[in-house]
Amino acid sequence: MQLGKIVKSNSHIDYICQIYNLNDVPLPPTIEDYAFGSFVKIPINSKQQLVGVVYDTVLFNPDFGRIGPRLSPETDLAIFTPDYLNEKVILIGILTVGMLDTGGIIIQGVPRLSSTTDSIVEKMIDTEIRQFHYGNQTPRLGYISLLLSHSSPLTIHLLQKIVYNLIDLFPDKRNLLSVLKNDLAWKSQIAPLGGAR
Amino acid sequence: MISEKLPIGWTKGPSDQPNDFTFVSPDHDRFLKIGEFVTYEAKMDGKERQILSRIIDRQPLLQFPDSFLADPQIAPDQVAQLIGYDQKDHEQFVLIATIIGYFDEQLDGFINPRIPPREGSPIYIAFDELLAHLLSKKKTTQQGSAYIGSLLSREIDKVPVVLDVASLVSTHLAIIASTGAGKSYLAGVLVEELMSHYNRAAVLIIDPHGEYDTLAEMMNIEHFRTSDYRPEIKIFRAGQVKVKVAALEPGDFYYLLPNLSDRMIYLFGKAYREVSKDSRMNKGEPDRWTRAELELKLDDLGTSEEEDTGKGKSDFASTAQALSWRLDSVLKNSLIFDDQKHLNLNELCRPGQCSVLQLNEVDEREQQVMVATLLRRLLKARTETQKNRVDEGDELYLPYPVFVLIEEAHRFAPASADIVTTGVLKTILSEGRKFGVGVGLISQRPGKLDGDVLSQCNTQFIMRIVNPVDQGRVAESIETVGRDLIRELPALTKGQVIIAGEAINTPVLARVRTRYTRHGGETKDAPVEWLKYLSPIEQEKRDREAALLVSGGKKRDRKYK
Repeated sequence: MQLGKIVKSNSHIDYICQIYNLNDVPLPPTIEDYAFGSFVKIPINSKQQLVGVVYDTVLFNPDFGRIGPRLSPETDLAIFTPDYLNEKVILIGILTVGMLDTGGIIIQGVPRLSSTTDSIVEKMIDTEIRQFHYGNQTPRLGYISLLLSHSSPLTIHLLQKIVYNLIDLFPDKRNLLSVLKNDLAWKSQIAPLGGAR
Repeated sequence: MISEKLPIGWTKGPSDQPNDFTFVSPDHDRFLKIGEFVTYEAKMDGKERQILSRIIDRQPLLQFPDSFLADPQIAPDQVAQLIGYDQKDHEQFVLIATIIGYFDEQLDGFINPRIPPREGSPIYIAFDELLAHLLSKKKTTQQGSAYIGSLLSREIDKVPVVLDVASLVSTHLAIIASTGAGKSYLAGVLVEELMSHYNRAAVLIIDPHGEYDTLAEMMNIEHFRTSDYRPEIKIFRAGQVKVKVAALEPGDFYYLLPNLSDRMIYLFGKAYREVSKDSRMNKGEPDRWTRAELELKLDDLGTSEEEDTGKGKSDFASTAQALSWRLDSVLKNSLIFDDQKHLNLNELCRPGQCSVLQLNEVDEREQQVMVATLLRRLLKARTETQKNRVDEGDELYLPYPVFVLIEEAHRFAPASADIVTTGVLKTILSEGRKFGVGVGLISQRPGKLDGDVLSQCNTQFIMRIVNPVDQGRVAESIETVGRDLIRELPALTKGQVIIAGEAINTPVLARVRTRYTRHGGETKDAPVEWLKYLSPIEQEKRDREAALLVSGGKKRDRKYK
């Protein structure tokens, strides 16, 4: 499932993707497809692709703040100025957390290569997510330190979301992942209220 | 076996104490235990020296977050691997070592260089051979050596701990340990070494519990025998060794006869002086009187004092009678005191002989008076012999040094009071070296042992001590043992011992070697004995004995009443 295309980057690992709407594709993605913590892939070339995770969603509306005067009522705008609607878009922030290649080589952490503008962003299916996280007999989240170094107030919640997803994908490793899940839960929910560890 | 010279860590810098330094090591093989020896190189007086140091503290540098340890079924390594940490052997330790110094063969001791290693300089583990050479003053089976065991931090017997018997017995020793830590076992090892053909010592053991009779096995063990030598072990049970009443001093009597009034002490002192004077005049020696003569003298004095002072006759006469009665009650049926027989020092102490004085059936006060008399006499004999005041054949002629091992030493030098033995023990501890009387004190309660006495024992064997009062006494009385080793005391297990002092070059943590003779002081296994008592065989035996008694007509009435 194609979600949109890269329109901007803030850094080597921090990309902005504009989500397709009805004007771009006949069947645009639903909000479930680019939910917070979803894994996406961004092709770099025919063999390699970046793996990223949705860490933020921003609604872009050029109409915001423009309070008048109007020539037509809101309901007629689609008829008189059809292009105007296209400017209301959804942007998602993607942090790249590794690379995949067709030979099955997985790299977790800061990817060596970067994407380009207009690269297509696709949603990863469960098999691909499992493949990306499959280490030597246990799941592997080698990008955690990378996410933690990203100064966003949502980082810890992002991690929690990822771990929850992985527990569903690796049910036989629930106990191992739960150690991490419990630690993150404490840090995000109890520690801010003064809980000590 | 440690013999390869590879750096085990790198110097980090100085520590809090001027004589300590820190170094960092991954210590993959878990080798760097507290008490382990390491070396560094430093140029001293133009020579490259190996400076010996002892590890006194060890702290991990890298630790997993506590949250990684949350699930007992999940190893923290797995959690680390989960988040992408794949490094093997990530552990690192920062270790603190205290500098001992380099060994100077001429001075026969360590010289502290007073220079910590340079930052970033390599630290080596000390070789087994180097340690064996540096720690012990003697080699195994060398004349004057006592092989006690081996260094605890190394494989068994890789680094033997061999003490210098000359220092050990002349400057006194103390064995301090809680019950069950193995102090009697260690004392047994020590005696085995002293009685070996390369020492042939004159040893006397004061054994209040009767634990040392198994040492007699030494006589039949090949290891101890050579073509010209076989150790002699003599066990003296209560009653076999006597103390002559006339050899007791007034203080001994005051200690033995409880609750003496001032008048009794006055009368007794006078009687004692007069009976000694009469003995010197009539028999040539002041200590040839008997208890009967003393009592007679007391009777006489009871009468004459009344006449002299003009006081009521009944006062002094009854005092004399009371004293005589007390003397009778204590001395008449005593296993220890006798009118004629006396400690024969030449029989008790001679080279190649270990005499064990078993005092387990003797009243504690009598034990103390006996030991006081014995020690006084030993010291006197050695002093007189050394000053050529006695000749061969004389009762007090003792031409060789003697070593006395005293079990339950807190009974003979208690911290709380000065008793009859305290004075003579202190004299021996301070002057015995000059005259060749060495003392070894064994105690399970150093807190109850006189601090001065303990501090004058210059070689210390300290085993597991849990009681904080006892630990405190050890720490304050024994300066040679570092604080780091004192901290180890509660953690020591049976047979592990800290040895420090004159007989060894530097304090060490050692494991005691296996004894050749059986251990006599083993703890009784009560459940085993209870079950044995109720076993069918024992039951049958008892029934048989009861039946015999019935048929013999004895106790029948009581049984079938």
